[in-house]
Amino acid sequence: MTVMRFAGGRLLRGLLTLWFAVTVTFFLVRLLPGDPALAVADPMMTEDLRMELLADYGLDRPLPVQYVSYLGHLLQGDLGISFRQSLPVTEILMARLPWTLILTGSALLVTVLIGVPLGVAAATRRGGWVDRAIQVGSVLGQSMFVPAIGIAMLYAFGLYLGWFPIGGAIDDGVTGLDAWISILRHLVLPASSLVILQIGAYVLTLRTNLIDSLGEDYCDLARAKGVPQRRIVWRHALRNALLPTTTLVGLQLGFLVGGAVLTETIFAYPGVGRAIFESVGRLDFPVLQGAFVLLAATVVVANLLTDLAYGALDPRVRAQ
Amino acid sequence: MSAELRPAPTVDDGIVRDDQPLAAPGESPGRRTARAFVRNPLGVFGVVVLVGMVLTAVFAPLIAEYPSGYGVDVLAPPSADHWFGTDSLGRDIFAQVVWGARTSLMIGGAASAMAIAVGVAVGVAAAYFTKVETALGVLVDVTLSLPVLPLMILIAALAGPSTWTLAVVIALFSWPEVARVVRSQALSIVGLPYVEAGALAGGSHLWIIRRHLVPAVAPVITVSVVLTASRAVLSESGLAFLGLGDPNGWSWGTILHNAQRSGTLGTAWWTAAMPSLAILLLVVAATLVSLAYNDARNPRTRED
Repeated sequence: MTVMRFAGGRLLRGLLTLWFAVTVTFFLVRLLPGDPALAVADPMMTEDLRMELLADYGLDRPLPVQYVSYLGHLLQGDLGISFRQSLPVTEILMARLPWTLILTGSALLVTVLIGVPLGVAAATRRGGWVDRAIQVGSVLGQSMFVPAIGIAMLYAFGLYLGWFPIGGAIDDGVTGLDAWISILRHLVLPASSLVILQIGAYVLTLRTNLIDSLGEDYCDLARAKGVPQRRIVWRHALRNALLPTTTLVGLQLGFLVGGAVLTETIFAYPGVGRAIFESVGRLDFPVLQGAFVLLAATVVVANLLTDLAYGALDPRVRAQ
Repeated sequence: MSAELRPAPTVDDGIVRDDQPLAAPGESPGRRTARAFVRNPLGVFGVVVLVGMVLTAVFAPLIAEYPSGYGVDVLAPPSADHWFGTDSLGRDIFAQVVWGARTSLMIGGAASAMAIAVGVAVGVAAAYFTKVETALGVLVDVTLSLPVLPLMILIAALAGPSTWTLAVVIALFSWPEVARVVRSQALSIVGLPYVEAGALAGGSHLWIIRRHLVPAVAPVITVSVVLTASRAVLSESGLAFLGLGDPNGWSWGTILHNAQRSGTLGTAWWTAAMPSLAILLLVVAATLVSLAYNDARNPRTRED
């Protein structure tokens, strides 16, 4: 029962977040000086033509009507029509979304795979040079400007050493196993850029949590029983230290998505972020708005999954 | 009254308050913090870098000529004539970075000031007025969990790129982080007896907030100013890199945008490396200052 209540509460919160995101963007877009109508309607065209064009896009109706109709369409997965490509925004972005999910997902996975051992190494060698090096590296990584990391990687490993492709997500005309290898090779540089950017936060948080856990009574007890230190760290303390660290995923996801927008731009990676970059130049507001709504929805769903996993792992959360 | 009979509230929650004892009598906590800060070489380095950058921004016209027009040396590598090399139009990159400091720091500073003002007001209100606590808390959480860069891009594109647009847009999505930090610090103060005593003595809400809460969260604000400003510079660089920078000004992101757009990244590394290094130096310095300040303020990490 409590599990259902917990899950229901989280779901409600996710929906609220999404509604907030949609509503804020809707009204910001309509109320800002840069009227979207001006972007479609050329001021030089005749008044009749202009009104007709505005009517086509539904921009001539009162704001509340537009809002309700926008929400209605949104529920059916309709994000409007692109100003520049005459295609449904949903169609344009859905073709891009899988690439963004692959990029951010693999960055998150690699961050965890490398971050956990680093956090453990720092916490168990507290005060030593390994700890210091890891801490300095974490702070430096977090301080980087994403395009700067991307450009440096692109220059060093793509152009100078020639190890990895410098752009795109897959080579033309490859099938089967080759296609997978091609996707992986294209993924290395952009995903690494994102890992460098976000790994510091995870490592530093895990380090603090693990140091706290290792000081708990149950670890002293295990030590007194003669359990080897390795086992205490990896089996006893780490489990409890990982739990609060998972909450960081929720705080970092928005940041990761922002990083992905910039990374995709540099590596010409055909995800939603690259679509945003292309639409900025063309002032294609429906695509920009749709991209934000879609990315917000992705973050909300990912957050929800993290919360549910957290609830499943930690009985105390469900009890509250 | 009966205050003395009541057991003192336990405050062993790991939160550091600088108004707590531990400090030897005779010297103010602020002085002790300052002394500990000066002893930390990394913190001092950070301050020196930040001050140097602010001076560069202020005195940009004296340091380098405004980068305009076309030069003769196209894509020249760093040399005695052009310390940071030149770009694809022959413009001096050192001059761009110097003038870029002006735009980047101005937007960072303005956005940070606005974000701090709103964030402190919301954070303190959320901690003090229990009625609005939930609503403000949800607002902050919701905003924090959204991917703000795509939203900033949308708004900046709509409003049209200008220095002020960028500052306002960045501030609009930076205050929740400040509010979150300020709120958690203020919450630990609201429960303390002296706040209650202030209310019992007939102090108005505004008076209590001004006299007790704001001074108590002031150290957190100090750290926030530096961190928020450096994050704002990162946001501005990101927007400018995507082509949303002020078309009439130079910022570090704009230099990178030009480097990317002209397709000279592969041959002229300096076009991208120099502004990148400037951004990195600024953010690292800001982070070091805040870390050193926190360490200096914390009696447990401070070596007295």
